[in-house]
Amino acid sequence: MGKYGIGIDIGSTTAKGVLLDNTLKIISDFIMPTGASGSRAVEKIMDEIASSSKLKLKGIPIISTGYGRTRVENAEQSVTEITCHSVGIHSLNPDIRLLIDVGGQDSKVIRIGQDGRPVDFELNDKCSAGTGRFLEVMAGVLGVSIDELGPLALKSLSPATISSTCTVFAESEVVGHIGAGKDPADIAAGVHASMAAKIASLSKRVGTVRPVCITGGVALNPAFRYYISKQLGTELWIPEKPQFTGALGAAVIAIRGLSG
Amino acid sequence: MPILTETKKEEKVYRQLESNTLLQQIMFQYMLEGHQASEEKHLAWVTSGFPVEIPVAMGVGVSYPEQYGAVVGSQKVGPELCGYAEEIGYSQELCSYARSSIGSVEKPSESPMEGLPTPQALLACNNICGTVLRWYDAVSEQTGAPVFLLDTPPIDGEQPEHHKEYVRRGIDRLVDFLGRTFNATLTEKRMREVAALSSKAIHLWTSSLAACKNTPSPLNCADRFLAMAPVVSMRGTDLIIDFYQTLLDEVESRVKNSIGAIRDEKIRLLWDNIPPWHAIFRFFNGLAKRGVVFPADTYTHAWSGAIEGDDLYESVVSIYSNVYLNKGLDAKVDKMCELIEDYNLDGFLMFSVRSCKRYSLGQLISKELVTERTGVPGVIIEGDMVDSRVFNEAQIQTRIDALLEMFI
Repeated sequence: MGKYGIGIDIGSTTAKGVLLDNTLKIISDFIMPTGASGSRAVEKIMDEIASSSKLKLKGIPIISTGYGRTRVENAEQSVTEITCHSVGIHSLNPDIRLLIDVGGQDSKVIRIGQDGRPVDFELNDKCSAGTGRFLEVMAGVLGVSIDELGPLALKSLSPATISSTCTVFAESEVVGHIGAGKDPADIAAGVHASMAAKIASLSKRVGTVRPVCITGGVALNPAFRYYISKQLGTELWIPEKPQFTGALGAAVIAIRGLSG
Repeated sequence: MPILTETKKEEKVYRQLESNTLLQQIMFQYMLEGHQASEEKHLAWVTSGFPVEIPVAMGVGVSYPEQYGAVVGSQKVGPELCGYAEEIGYSQELCSYARSSIGSVEKPSESPMEGLPTPQALLACNNICGTVLRWYDAVSEQTGAPVFLLDTPPIDGEQPEHHKEYVRRGIDRLVDFLGRTFNATLTEKRMREVAALSSKAIHLWTSSLAACKNTPSPLNCADRFLAMAPVVSMRGTDLIIDFYQTLLDEVESRVKNSIGAIRDEKIRLLWDNIPPWHAIFRFFNGLAKRGVVFPADTYTHAWSGAIEGDDLYESVVSIYSNVYLNKGLDAKVDKMCELIEDYNLDGFLMFSVRSCKRYSLGQLISKELVTERTGVPGVIIEGDMVDSRVFNEAQIQTRIDALLEMFI
């Protein structure tokens, strides 16, 4: 077992890096937009980790994950985000058996086995309506930032209905609601409820086991957390930094190995 | 100092079958025979689950549009051929075998082998899906050839007596139809000869399939998908017996010498559904490099019923009514579990084929049930058998990688 391990998660929207020591303590982490070049993001992450940890990174094993995982040149191995998220969450809370990760351009539901490895999973990467992109588009239409969208939705007393299951048509529906003079808070609430319903059905396919863990950037959104919890009828467990669990799992694997 | 340095070339991860040469020869001959039958106005197009022994016993030549679809896929012209059908109004949601076939009839000069030879009749059996009837109706409009439908309603559980009787009447009507259309007759003697040849080919074929229970498996998925062509299209002819005997000899020799289909077998998986013809070698050989072999699949095991007994037609009714796709979900789940146990498999890969609703419907449920019963994990990947436009490799890769990581 090495003294340190690095996990790099190149997602479709953001790139994350985590440096761990062998007690699984996070020494350093960094997140940035992936941008057009995954390799430039990797370079920047390594520089940031090196400067904040004041460690020489040469020789520390790297495991890459995420959609850009195969393009991380210095990685010892690339491991899917499904396994990495599972391992990452298990290192934080070994009681979690169901993980819902809502990323920028996909969402996944993973059943975690007792050893922390995935035993079943479902991915939605065909339709943007169950992803962070859906919320970004709707925030744009409502003229608020993505960070303001969740708090706005929580002010609603009477959520609007968004019946479309497609980002493009839901956008037209939202425009229609705006035209009809609906309260933006009600529209925002409808947007979150619609997205939560989509992800809840994916989760039910794998089988909901409590407590449910939510990760990915969308886990930071309080309205999404409220509606998904309501849809699934269960309390949620959310890690302190929900965007980092993939990179965290990769770093754990860098230290312990995939079969460790 | 040696003048010549000899570097031993690394053995390929995938071992090609020697019997493939013979396979190519008979498939070429089959194509020529199809053209000859068409010129003699004696050719019928048939669906893959049609009781082909009957037209064969009546001297009618047969060609298979589904097999043609596989050729279109393998030659990577699926989007073009499907596109020809879409241009004249067919939906992109329609079966890509149907679109390839309709497209090739529309533009033969721009299709592989200039399309299939022109048919004088179209024989559809809906034991594989309901689309075949509308598809053959469309080709009938294009070519003027009449359609015969052998209706085999789906079965859930045991086949009831009235169901057998109904399909039996369909067989009688088929014999009448072929008699009228081709001025042909069916004799008991000829039917027995054809049934015996069909059963012999099937027996040899299923022996090769069963040999894959051995570790290492002597055949991989792509091997079986290629080798099944004659048993699908030429059941009941003596042309194919030699090939299946040669294949079985080669398979048995591999088993005896512990030679696997792939160099380094580590993980054994079950394959469910039609393969992505447009990526068949890249896909299976890519996985072979990672030690993944597929000793069994639900597709090539579908041609395994031998026509036997005193009443051959009763046997025909039973075999062609009880095909894999004509039965309920329970039968499919049972079959998958049986294959996983008998072939000692570590997991399964289900290909959800966008065009083949009949095969793909219910996969979400069956995946859960199969894992529950066998304890092995599985994953569903999405795409299409012919239309490569709906085959997203990065997404498929992530799912398969995640499955393989479960075995580490």
